[in-house]
Amino acid sequence: MRALRWSLGGTFLVAVPWIVAAVAPGQQRYILHVLIFTALYGALALSYDLVVGHVGSLSLAHPAFFGIGAYTAALLTTEAGWPFAAALPAGIAAAGLIALAVGVPMFRLTEHSFAMGTLGFALVAQIVATNWVEFTRGPLCVTGIPKPELGPLRIATLPAFYWMGLTAVGLVGLLYHGLTTARLGRAFHAVRDNEMLASAASIHPLKYRMLAFVIGGAVAGGVGTLFASYVGVLCPTELAVSLSVNLLVMLFLGGVGSLRGVVVGAVAFTALPEILRMAPTWRMVIYGLLLLLIVIRAPDGLEGVIRHRSAAWRRPSSGA
Amino acid sequence: MGDLVEQLVHGLTLGSLYAMVATGLALMFGVVRLVNFAHGEFYMLGGYAFWYAYRVLGLPYPVAGVAAAAATAVFGLAYERTVIRTILARTWHVQLIATLATSITLTNLAIIVFGTQPKEVPTMLSSAIAEVGGVRLAWQRPVVLVAAVVVFAGLEWFVTRTKLGKAMRAMSQNREACAVVGVDVQRVALATFGLSAALAGAAAALVSPLFNIFPDVGALLTLKAFAAVIVGGFGYVKGAIAAAFLIGVAESLAAGYLSYAYKDAIAFVVMVAVLLVRPQGLFGRRIGI
Amino acid sequence: MALFETRGLTKRFLGVTAVDAVDLRIEAGELVSLIGPNGSGKTTLFNCVTGYLPSDAGRVFFHGRDVTGVSAHRIARLGVGRTFQLVSVFPRLSALENLLTFLQQHQEEGVLTRLVRAPRVRRYEAVAVERAMMLLDSVGLAARASAPAGRLSYGQRKLLAFAAALMPDPELVLLDEPASAVNPTMINQMKEQIRALHRRGKTVLLVEHNMDVVMDISQRVIVLDHGQKIAEGPPEAVRRDPKVIEAYFGR
Repeated sequence: MRALRWSLGGTFLVAVPWIVAAVAPGQQRYILHVLIFTALYGALALSYDLVVGHVGSLSLAHPAFFGIGAYTAALLTTEAGWPFAAALPAGIAAAGLIALAVGVPMFRLTEHSFAMGTLGFALVAQIVATNWVEFTRGPLCVTGIPKPELGPLRIATLPAFYWMGLTAVGLVGLLYHGLTTARLGRAFHAVRDNEMLASAASIHPLKYRMLAFVIGGAVAGGVGTLFASYVGVLCPTELAVSLSVNLLVMLFLGGVGSLRGVVVGAVAFTALPEILRMAPTWRMVIYGLLLLLIVIRAPDGLEGVIRHRSAAWRRPSSGA
Repeated sequence: MGDLVEQLVHGLTLGSLYAMVATGLALMFGVVRLVNFAHGEFYMLGGYAFWYAYRVLGLPYPVAGVAAAAATAVFGLAYERTVIRTILARTWHVQLIATLATSITLTNLAIIVFGTQPKEVPTMLSSAIAEVGGVRLAWQRPVVLVAAVVVFAGLEWFVTRTKLGKAMRAMSQNREACAVVGVDVQRVALATFGLSAALAGAAAALVSPLFNIFPDVGALLTLKAFAAVIVGGFGYVKGAIAAAFLIGVAESLAAGYLSYAYKDAIAFVVMVAVLLVRPQGLFGRRIGI
Repeated sequence: MALFETRGLTKRFLGVTAVDAVDLRIEAGELVSLIGPNGSGKTTLFNCVTGYLPSDAGRVFFHGRDVTGVSAHRIARLGVGRTFQLVSVFPRLSALENLLTFLQQHQEEGVLTRLVRAPRVRRYEAVAVERAMMLLDSVGLAARASAPAGRLSYGQRKLLAFAAALMPDPELVLLDEPASAVNPTMINQMKEQIRALHRRGKTVLLVEHNMDVVMDISQRVIVLDHGQKIAEGPPEAVRRDPKVIEAYFGR
């Protein structure tokens, strides 16, 4: 039964470009564009949730890893003529390696200091991207990033990019699921919920925090690479710290620590503002207020609300 | 040589700014154990309040400065009453996200209301240049330094001689005991926020003639103030002040002799270096304001 | 060779010496209690020897091997189990999952086998679940195996934490105030559990304030006061030791 639902859902998602062409032909370009961004943000949000939701490390460094992956791939393809098939793993590796290097000193910090340290790193990454003009072109941006070519496959049309985005979010979702269930998931959650007790259970807190941080960072780098190849232009503003806020909104509105919740959050917070044609500044004001409200009133987000409601429907379990 | 002196004075000016902002951050952490990620926005709002009072209303400089500090204090009180009070008992994750969210909201509101173009507020003192032994400085700079010293002296007097100040110091050392003994914990928390905000507002009035006011000025400032608090030892105000001056001078020297573009990274570098070598901060785990 | 030993263990906090050159020696199979007035350094000592606090001086030995300064998770891995003074469970996990968490590191095989549910992995899981249910049954929590640990009563959580600590079958079990803040029935249950543990050949060191419990089950009692060891011996001898009486009453 589940397999049937998954196949139907999967088929529907794959068929979206045709469905949109049939249902709203004039808007196809715009809708697909929004969906591509939604898929990429979904993948990015999932990678961020690994760190924030499952291991409980409130890192604000994610924009930096996104940017590092994006710039690595952008520069390798434009300057060194690397093909996309090589630039993508390079972007992932660069982001992952830097996450490893940064994680070691960062995880020696506790709580607020860790958050501030990662925020500082994100700010420094943006400063470097803006000022190291010889390398990154600074505010002039890296332009002319070529469309991806995977052998005979050339991803140049919007539907093709949509399928690329869909594949990305699907693969990241699978990875996310594998990492957050069974014993590995239990280890992450033990570190998140009670680090002292986790140590007493022979679980090495630093090892698992680093694992989530590096994998999350590497995936963010991969998403950055895809983003750069889609937009074709890469500017230092993409590394803005406000990306962390966007991601936090997605996580907390949808339901931090839950795959379905994060994806819902990503869809709500990428598609909705586009549909409502919100100006970027007003969007941030509303995100800020929403985040404030959610985190104070409903920290489990929509997912928590849904679970709460469905638990109320079921009978309470016996065995008091 | 003259160049070095200029850089040092610049550094001390910067340090005065960072110290005033860091003191507010350290006070809030010391008294109510909360880290306010929106602290830089106090400075930003203070700066716009000052600009409005001085440039738009045309008030004389000292009056405008006091007005800015007062306006920021009022904002700080309102912020404590609304946002902070609801998150005081929550986990630090909630506090962090809530204050971060506030920061983003305020920054973007500022963009909407005031625009992204920086506001310039030159005063007589910032335009008047003094020439002493080959060194050229705006008069505003020594004024900032002197004002900062006065402020810190005033703060020390406040904390040792007034009832409210002594209550703040007591709360930073043992909050539960204070509640038992009859200290109005809520009132002290409120006052701490007002004071911290006023410090940031005053700093803005002093320093805005030299550096312009723009909506994102808060973000970097929060980071540097936080770096000072960490380097000085969390919860130790005097340590934060010393660390802030250290960071200000380091940044100025780096900007002058290494690279202007990357000067903002210095605070971060100093912070990480200290944390790796001496995680309890330069002055150890001393508590107290 | 003693199972567990400290030599000159010292820990200072901001000018106060919480643990002052303490020498302990626990032989395999003993049931020893560590007592002393409030603030005498008992829990600090526990935290130092289990890797949660770095000590300032002295050495700690387990099976003759120097484990001074070894981090908490590695000491746990070596076969030292412990409970915490403020009862500690994973609130969002079920009672069963709490116990499974304590055994899983001993089944580690690498990331790949984790992500690919190999048959060998599944067999380990089955064995782990069996052991967990057995332990839950022995503390009377079998019926609550799938209840979230956060919803259990304080006493039930204490028993759960106790069972969890035993999951990886540690040789040395350190219990921090197992009889505190629970009703007399629970205290009796705890005493029985500790005795049963001891009968199975485990070495137990407990910190306790409840003198009835201490006198009733201990083979040997060690007394700390102001961080220093002031007495050591069979329960009755220690109870009558004038230094001990003075430490508790003579202030």
